[in-house]
Amino acid sequence: MTGFEHIQKTGRDAVLVVGGGVAGITASLDLADAGQSVHLVESSSYLGGQVSKLDKLYPTDHCAFCPLWTDVKKCMEHPLITVHTLSHVKELNKENGNYSAVILRGPHYIDEKKCIFCGRCEKECPAAAIHPDWEHLYPPSFVIDETLCTKCGNCTKICPSGAIDMDLKEEEISLPVSDVIWATGFKEANINHLKEYGSGTHPDIMTSMEFEEWTSEAGTNRGTIIKRSDGAIPANIAFIQCAGARDLRMIPSCSAVCCMHAFKQAEWVKRRDKRIDCSIFYTDLRTVGRDYYRYSLRDFEDANIKLVRGRPGLIHPLPSGNGIAVQFENTITQKREIRKFDIVILNGNIQPSLIQLRPAQPGSMAVPRTDKEGFVIEESGETSDFACGFGLEPADVADSVIQASAAAMRIMNKASDQR
Amino acid sequence: MANISVFLCKCFGEIDNTINFDFLREELSKDPSVVLISIVDSLCLETDIEKTVSQIRESNSDKVLIAACSTLSRGNLVIESLIKEGVERHKIGLVDIREGCAWIHGDNPEDASKKAKDLINMGIAALQHKDMSDDMSVTVHPNALIIGAGPAGLAAAMSLARTGFKVNLLERSKVPGGMLKLISRCYPDNDDASNKLGPYLREVENNPLITFYPQSKITSVEGDTGNFTVHFSFQEKDSFIQAGVIIVATGAKIFFPTGLYGYGEIKNVINQMEFERQSLNGSLETKKPVFIQCVGARNRERPYCSTICCPISLKNASRIAEDIPGASVFILHRGIMTPGNTLEKYYRDTLSSGVQFIRFEEEQPPRIIGSDYVEAVEVYDAITGITRKIETDLVVLSTPLVPNNDNVQLAEMLDIEVDRYGFFSEIYPMHPLETKTDGIFICGSARWPVSSDHSILQGKAAAMKAVSYLRQSKIAASTLSRVPGLKSGHARVVPESCTGCGNCVAACPFDACHIEKLEGRYISIVNMMKCKACGSCVSVCPNGTMQIPEHNYRMVGEMIKMAF
Amino acid sequence: MNQPRILIFACKWCGFIGADAAGKKRISLPSRFRVIPMECASLVETDAILRALAGGIDGIAVLGCHIGGCRYNNANHTAIKRLELLQDLLDTTGIGSSRLLLSFGTAHEDYQFEEIIKNFFDELTLLPPLDPWL
Repeated sequence: MTGFEHIQKTGRDAVLVVGGGVAGITASLDLADAGQSVHLVESSSYLGGQVSKLDKLYPTDHCAFCPLWTDVKKCMEHPLITVHTLSHVKELNKENGNYSAVILRGPHYIDEKKCIFCGRCEKECPAAAIHPDWEHLYPPSFVIDETLCTKCGNCTKICPSGAIDMDLKEEEISLPVSDVIWATGFKEANINHLKEYGSGTHPDIMTSMEFEEWTSEAGTNRGTIIKRSDGAIPANIAFIQCAGARDLRMIPSCSAVCCMHAFKQAEWVKRRDKRIDCSIFYTDLRTVGRDYYRYSLRDFEDANIKLVRGRPGLIHPLPSGNGIAVQFENTITQKREIRKFDIVILNGNIQPSLIQLRPAQPGSMAVPRTDKEGFVIEESGETSDFACGFGLEPADVADSVIQASAAAMRIMNKASDQR
Repeated sequence: MANISVFLCKCFGEIDNTINFDFLREELSKDPSVVLISIVDSLCLETDIEKTVSQIRESNSDKVLIAACSTLSRGNLVIESLIKEGVERHKIGLVDIREGCAWIHGDNPEDASKKAKDLINMGIAALQHKDMSDDMSVTVHPNALIIGAGPAGLAAAMSLARTGFKVNLLERSKVPGGMLKLISRCYPDNDDASNKLGPYLREVENNPLITFYPQSKITSVEGDTGNFTVHFSFQEKDSFIQAGVIIVATGAKIFFPTGLYGYGEIKNVINQMEFERQSLNGSLETKKPVFIQCVGARNRERPYCSTICCPISLKNASRIAEDIPGASVFILHRGIMTPGNTLEKYYRDTLSSGVQFIRFEEEQPPRIIGSDYVEAVEVYDAITGITRKIETDLVVLSTPLVPNNDNVQLAEMLDIEVDRYGFFSEIYPMHPLETKTDGIFICGSARWPVSSDHSILQGKAAAMKAVSYLRQSKIAASTLSRVPGLKSGHARVVPESCTGCGNCVAACPFDACHIEKLEGRYISIVNMMKCKACGSCVSVCPNGTMQIPEHNYRMVGEMIKMAF
Repeated sequence: MNQPRILIFACKWCGFIGADAAGKKRISLPSRFRVIPMECASLVETDAILRALAGGIDGIAVLGCHIGGCRYNNANHTAIKRLELLQDLLDTTGIGSSRLLLSFGTAHEDYQFEEIIKNFFDELTLLPPLDPWL
């Protein structure tokens, strides 16, 4: 009996995949394609994770959205995958080599199976709590922001297809699971306490994910590059690498993706507006993947992006409010300099999302064993905890997808060994 | 002309608020091919689907046209539920009169109604002339062929065999193990390479599902996804294997930097591989080694970073620094490439083990001092701005991995792509192990230089991708798309009118067309297993012989006629 | 004078998604355009464009993915080359290349689609009417 026959004949318990980013989606699809049933748990209202917020992917400049969209669609339609959005894993109990999970499924006040996306509820809502879900979600639907909702009931009355039910409560779903794949991804870390970066002191000092949202084609400014403070076109932009990362005070490890991310952003800034001057302040440029180094060279030479080796010692908004001063020592020329920039982008402050979850809500959420930095420690036994994506180790899209498939394979092999 | 029943969806007022349905009914009833016009409240609701289906059954219509919202909203769901009720996919047409008409022309109901009429007429024209592609299916050979028995290939073989599939493992050399055979320890866990290889080698020996073919070389590949026939020479005898999927794990080779830093001429200038060999057989004697990074890499000739050379130097440098008392170890580098948490920690550990790092720039490389024996290395430290002279007894050059010489040849046989350097490449960054041809996967250093651990990971991942093919007994060409139901068909040639010009062969981005001699004439043949229906061939065909039936010339022509 | 008539061939991964998103946002657009979704911009036949122009349609727009963003292994690169040649041909025959709009940027956002359509309408209004000769 082959592995998947075993899975199908014995009705092996479902695999629980936690996190609906690229890694989670890929792991779910791979397992489901092999006949294994999967429960995919995602905390936000849509699948796609951080990649759905990216505009373009390095190094080929493909859009992030359309391949992701097709995978999300496939996931939603797959008969063996049960998707739980707005949910998290409340409990995981290991008993006699069996896992049982309790999934806390948040109320889906707007039933996405019934919502026709007419938008009447959005117009009627006095608290402005209703907004369209992630723009390219399939099928499109609205979501209610529970923090704003006053439960007035206007939307329930106006909805023509009866998709809204405000009386829904959180639902606890208990199910036996065979294994867990943690694909919890990354979150941006707050580095306001690292005073030298000036994070949070000026609207034009942004983190790279904020900048991505600010300038991406689907984002706030529809692909134009302007300052957040006054809406003017910036003359120059500084990308500060390793802000918070490779820093024993904050994130000791290298976040692996930020160098290329900065190159990509600088390249697209240049593509959209040639006049804007881009400088990247780096410690080491880590360009190890296919064409990554070439991408950085191309940026450096063709797009005329300035590379400065040096970690800024101080970044502070100028007293006039116009511009941000960056003090640094160029470690190649050994010169101390101070330069004025219009936008400063802090890059590197990303860390596994588990490290931020844990202290916030003790007991209310099941989390795997992690190391000090928040990366999952995999455990293989009768009931296994596998991990993939940024939650396992810093990884970009390609690496996350590879890790996801490999995790799925290990579960397949385990299933075969159990027969 | 087929009889068509038209269903107009009001979408709870979203559409009929703007569009005049009476006008539509009147206009549509002029068309003799429309046998039924039905106005529905909301087609996507289950109750209305049931009603629709019974109406379709009662009417004498051949095809169904739905005028509702777009495919990207709920239109596709309507189609899916109709298919579930037994209506054939190619007999359903969908016209978007909500997003594409009512909602964007809400301020002009009259024009919107006219546009809706035109759109529905275009839909009818499309439905009348829409044809259906042929499909083919291939019986899947439930076994895999893995080319290369390095860590990636071995991991893939073990994973697939344990899942229950027969694996044929081809290897150029006599023994499995690949490059791991040549090195002593692996980074970042400093585990012995033989420990790492052990389980895999035992699996190859003991698992009856794995057949190992040493000393073999592929000569030709035929067939398609699910049914490849691979001819190869095995110990100088010709042989062949049939396989459902192929995993390419041929690895890469070491670059020998002849002429650089006196390599090949001076005895104590060696590369990392020789260092590994010497530490394996215990002949390594050095107290003052100097490692030079990026030798022959990240330059004009090879503008890429080979990923593994920095960690390898860290591994070897820290080993000497820790094992040999009083050793002084230098790494001359151009930026240490240790992305991630594990490698960054490895770098920090190496720093604390006493290894010294000096950064140099590409324009000012280190200089070797000594003609037949290197006594010192002179290097301009880019960070302090001081030129330093380092005494040494061994210079170790870190060289990149370079693609195997026969990669291009193999890629041509397999119909997959190589990148500008010669490594096998994917065509889509979100599917990094999948290639241009479905059912062929790439992994390990054949794809891009990777560490042994990542090779093993990629091998497992490629095996996982292979499982979804191998577990099917038959694969239909129409399902060979990453999104089921989104592949719009296959290109079709009319043999009678094909002139064999070969335009389609040149234009096809997936190498699905080829020219064949049939009854004394050259004509183009489309391989449906490879065709993705992009239509590149259609638009370059000089006489309209090449068509995608779902999107054919007549259909587009008629749609254009009905457009206004 | 009548509004110009526009026919749009839209790649279903880019332009079509843009058109759809414009619909979802209910962006108000001039009504005299029709969208034909295509699998890929490379499926747009020269013939179809010429036929449409001959049939009295004032302008054709082909919307495809940006360079490097194709779903079909860069099939759009060949499409661009081919359609640019067609633009030359339209210039030589006096129809004018401005009647064939090629947009190979990412048109997958609503506002991009809106911009393309509105500008194209404005441009075409300035041109003399195209006499149908079929």
